[in-house]
Amino acid sequence: MISRAGIDLLMNRRHFLSRSAGGLGGIALASLMAEESSLEIDSTDPYRPRPSHHEAKAKNVVVVFCSGALSHVDTFDYKPKLIRHHGRPLPGQENLVSFQGPNGNLVQPLWKFRPRGQCGKMISDLVPQIGEMADDLCFLHALTNKSNTHGPAENVMNTGFAFDGFPSMGAWVNYALGSTNADLPAFVAIEDPRGMPQSGPNNWANGFLPAAFQGTPFSTTKPIRYLPRPSHIHSRTDSEAREALSALNERHAERFPGDEALAARIASYELSARMQLSVPQVADVSRESAAMRRLYGADSSNETKAAFAENCMLARRLVENGVRFVQLFNGAYASGGNLNWDGHSQLKSQYDRHGDILDQPVAGLLQDLKQRGLLETTLVVFATEFGRMPMFQAGTYGRDHNPHGFTCWLAGAGVKAPFSYGATDEFGYAAIEKVTTAHDFHATILHLLGLDHEALTVYHNGIERRLTDVHGQVIQEVLA
Amino acid sequence: MWKTFCIVFLLARGWLSADTDHWAFEPIEEPESRPISIDTLVGEKLVEKGLEWSPEADRRTLIRRLYLAMLGIPPSVEEIEAFVAYEAPNEIAWSRVVDRVLADPRYGERWALHWLDTIRWAETVGFETNAPRPNAWHYRDWVIESFNRDQPYDQFIFEQLAGDTCEADAALGFLVAGPANLPGQIGRDELAMRSARQDELDEVIRTVSQTFLGLTVGCARCHDHKFDPISAKDYYAMQAVFAGLRYGDRRRRGPENDAWTGRVPYMTATVRKLAAELEALRIRHGLKTPLGNVETVSFEPLLAQTVRMRINATTNGSAASLYEFEVWQGKGADAMNVALASRGAKATASSFALENQTRHPDCLNDGSVDERQAFAWRAGANGPAWVRIDLVEPAMLERVVWQRGYSQPADYVIEVQSPGTTTWNELAHTRDHFPTRSDTRAAASITLGDLTKSDIAEIVRLNGELRRAQAELARLQAGPQTYAASFTDKPDTTWLLHRGDPMQRREVVAPSVPVALGSLGAIDEGPEVRRRIRLARHLAEPNHPLTARVLVNRVWQYHFGTGFVDTPSDFGKMGSLPTHPSLLDWLASDFMNHGWSIKHLHRRILHSRTFLQSSRPDALALKVDADTRFLWRFPPRRVAAEVIRDSMLAASGKLNRRAHGVGFDFFRQQGGLSDYQAHETFESDGWRRMVYARKIRMQAVDVFGAFDCPDAGQMTPRRTRSITPVQSLGLMNSPFALRQAGFFAKRIVAEVGGDPEAQVSRAIEIALNRQAEVEERRTLAALARDHGLDQVCRVLFNTSEFIHLP
Repeated sequence: MISRAGIDLLMNRRHFLSRSAGGLGGIALASLMAEESSLEIDSTDPYRPRPSHHEAKAKNVVVVFCSGALSHVDTFDYKPKLIRHHGRPLPGQENLVSFQGPNGNLVQPLWKFRPRGQCGKMISDLVPQIGEMADDLCFLHALTNKSNTHGPAENVMNTGFAFDGFPSMGAWVNYALGSTNADLPAFVAIEDPRGMPQSGPNNWANGFLPAAFQGTPFSTTKPIRYLPRPSHIHSRTDSEAREALSALNERHAERFPGDEALAARIASYELSARMQLSVPQVADVSRESAAMRRLYGADSSNETKAAFAENCMLARRLVENGVRFVQLFNGAYASGGNLNWDGHSQLKSQYDRHGDILDQPVAGLLQDLKQRGLLETTLVVFATEFGRMPMFQAGTYGRDHNPHGFTCWLAGAGVKAPFSYGATDEFGYAAIEKVTTAHDFHATILHLLGLDHEALTVYHNGIERRLTDVHGQVIQEVLA
Repeated sequence: MWKTFCIVFLLARGWLSADTDHWAFEPIEEPESRPISIDTLVGEKLVEKGLEWSPEADRRTLIRRLYLAMLGIPPSVEEIEAFVAYEAPNEIAWSRVVDRVLADPRYGERWALHWLDTIRWAETVGFETNAPRPNAWHYRDWVIESFNRDQPYDQFIFEQLAGDTCEADAALGFLVAGPANLPGQIGRDELAMRSARQDELDEVIRTVSQTFLGLTVGCARCHDHKFDPISAKDYYAMQAVFAGLRYGDRRRRGPENDAWTGRVPYMTATVRKLAAELEALRIRHGLKTPLGNVETVSFEPLLAQTVRMRINATTNGSAASLYEFEVWQGKGADAMNVALASRGAKATASSFALENQTRHPDCLNDGSVDERQAFAWRAGANGPAWVRIDLVEPAMLERVVWQRGYSQPADYVIEVQSPGTTTWNELAHTRDHFPTRSDTRAAASITLGDLTKSDIAEIVRLNGELRRAQAELARLQAGPQTYAASFTDKPDTTWLLHRGDPMQRREVVAPSVPVALGSLGAIDEGPEVRRRIRLARHLAEPNHPLTARVLVNRVWQYHFGTGFVDTPSDFGKMGSLPTHPSLLDWLASDFMNHGWSIKHLHRRILHSRTFLQSSRPDALALKVDADTRFLWRFPPRRVAAEVIRDSMLAASGKLNRRAHGVGFDFFRQQGGLSDYQAHETFESDGWRRMVYARKIRMQAVDVFGAFDCPDAGQMTPRRTRSITPVQSLGLMNSPFALRQAGFFAKRIVAEVGGDPEAQVSRAIEIALNRQAEVEERRTLAALARDHGLDQVCRVLFNTSEFIHLP
């Protein structure tokens, strides 16, 4: 309950509790429960900035999400023993049946690993430019997912639950903190130019939070729906219609003095009019210099890469303009690995294609944020739904789903770097050291935003819901 | 969090315990002997809180309120005028209009939506594939009809749990309203399969317990409920009630089914006749019987090291595919498949399909045809293909066995190469096999023994007829289908799962309801349906503490915006306490005493002073009760997404009143993976009421989704009411809104002609159900003159008043 009133309540009650814990029995439980069950955010201004629980290291977040499950053993999780055991069965798991069926023998990384940056972190040739940013990265090598299926696993990574219908991390953050730019949506989801991720809008859904907190999907190739004035309506016509509308709405509101929803509605029309100016401005990446376009790879002759690079530039522009939470998708829905990282059968050729699209734009984004000083207040999260097996699937040239261990990384505000946390076993099959759940991951991200994941709750259908369910611990070791 | 903490704290101190000591588990309070009504009990609360009644609203406001709340559509100008002009005391005039509204079929269309929200009903499966459930809409129609004919609520429950006993098959759509993984989307390992079954049943338990009981039994899947008297054992006992349940289509009995069944004998005879004709032809031409899915080719033992099969054509033209290809030596106990990879043999093929899953030739000799554990070889393209087995050493071969894969070979040759030679010797061919029924090849492409082209054409023609007749017979025999729960006679055993882990089975659990609510008796023996019948009867017992209370609270919420308990699907200890406990109980027993009639309940509410009050705010009252929980006025609020769209169509004159049947589409696809593209404009079918839109899970509907229209991801017993700029963009700029504004303007011109003032007056009457004020008439008439009447209509659709329940 983080509405303005809710925060007051929360603070007062905590204060109260600390003074008189022993006297609680005297409080009418009824009134407590009734008040706390109402989920009314201040409807006149749902995006009003709200204080964090503690001092925030990060003001903004960019989540780069690799849809389809990026292979950790081919990118960031270096396993020399996997190379030495190439062609032999995985010891102890000789007959492993995983998501799609039986597995074959261990297969060494399909790209060569090399030491990168000053720190010498071993990162593969699939992502060399991201690799060069190694000194700024904090790797989490022992992530796990409770689902081995793309949609539910994406849900876990982005909402904390495998099932559909729970609020996404961005919605929680939007709900908790509001926005610092009244002219832009506080939470933007940038779709990959190749299409939607597997679990689609559930990745940026509001779930049971008010719809105001859902992510607004748009990208350089896909604008906000119905944002521009329809071309056949003249601007004067439009503004006079809006004036007439506001006169009618104000007259109506006068008949219901004190009705906040009516005032909020008038405000929402004003905001939409401001967005008609502010969004095209911020989304117009053509204003970026040629040098910038080269840095991100937006000048690439590969159209998909150029489009993704422009999305990365858009992400930076949004962050620069105070957008709180940006999701940036790399990879689309399940497509036999053609449009995303789901390399079941032809991992090498597909990843060569996808790697080129991912690498330079993300490295460019990191560099750009860094050179502008934005990385000090922006947390960059690099995530995927799960990893892939160190073996090929029986009779294929690709790797099956592996929720037992995979890699994500963090960079920027409040994050220790260069650093690597947790480890998978010597073949990269399963996390064995500092095993990390999505809940820990989320708790840590919220912590960096100044939020206590256990205090950020909303009552829904009988349960005080959190992003982190009833689990999760902030990973203290990765904090700077 | 505070609440959790607080309750845990109280639990720890022993001031609260997860036992049945909770108001909602207490029996419903007997009505007092003094005469009571909604108004006496609301009035008492008002006095207690120092609040006062608001005056009665005027007739225009009341009829708009009534129509929007009950029908989800505003009244027509004529209906308003008739009501306003009706010269009778308010009570009589009101009673007449209430009766009319309750008999109006649009009532069911509006109130069905409330129910569908509550159970997160949708026409796709959700999860990974979001595949369509094309036969699910019957349930939506059944709910609409149930409301319209005021089906008693106890029977409404019964049919949704045990409709198979009373030919209410569509009602069983209730149990499978939630999302479920398709079999193909479940991992192939045991854990994944068991987990998926648990998830499926969990959705059922959540639906049943939250909807009827207002209890979050689902919490007890992994551990005893923290706050409510529901143990993990209770959870699995409820799961056992539904242990026989399967998701999928089932036969929908009724007149259509009877008609289909009536045609079965004729179609059976047709099939027999055609089959006999074909068999006669086969014998006449001296052809062998058609190929099966598995064929064994035996021959005189011969020494060979290489065997191949050249597949020239498949029955349906798709790429050649085999699950397995076996080459046998020896007889009886000595027989051995020497083609196996484990015996060193190597399989090759002309090509293989590179797919998400492998279709490699290794599949031919992996020794497995278990579809869950192995794959089939499939050629990389349609057309002729070959597979070949090279043995490690020459062997005395006696037979070859092939098993079809994703396609059926129709024309092939099996050949061997003797050691040291390069010539291929034919072992078997298909030229003397009569075509299989599934063979759809053109006659011209078929060679059969020495048959003439016309002989072959005759066989192909008859074969086609037989295929169609068989398909029709199968369709008639299966009967009309509806997406609803089916049940097996032998339900799975239900175990208590330790921490909800499907691999950690503990004791076997018998079907029941949570112990705190009673028992269903010994029902684990005997027919499966008894479990569900008992549950339905248990829920409808007059002394059940929850069923009637929960329903009455829901109905109250839809009238007043908030229920007595503002957590409508949680009457447990984490839920709220009722604001008017005596009124809730009185209405609950009154509801049961009047045959569980929901329309009776509506009448009670609609005729109350509480409902008839003005909604105007009062500064003093707002200070005491900002949320109007104590009903010192009628609480005004924004209407639902569906009501907004329907009202626009009603105003434009384009509303298509066609009821029932397959829904119209908001998207270009009816299910499936991501990347749904929204239709931006619609024609007549898409101008039906929004309840008839095909409901896609997890896809917000264009324009109207932003008005908190749930996407069936989660149960939504109470919608949020947010206000966002995206809403205003949709209503201001979407092609749908602009086009309807255009139609609305045309309608106005047709009705009142070209005078802008008259146009504006009429438009306001239609859209806002009141007469225009001088000032707004002037403003809007100027807008009409300078920029066209379309703009006036566009503005009206965007006013707060248009989407306001007054």
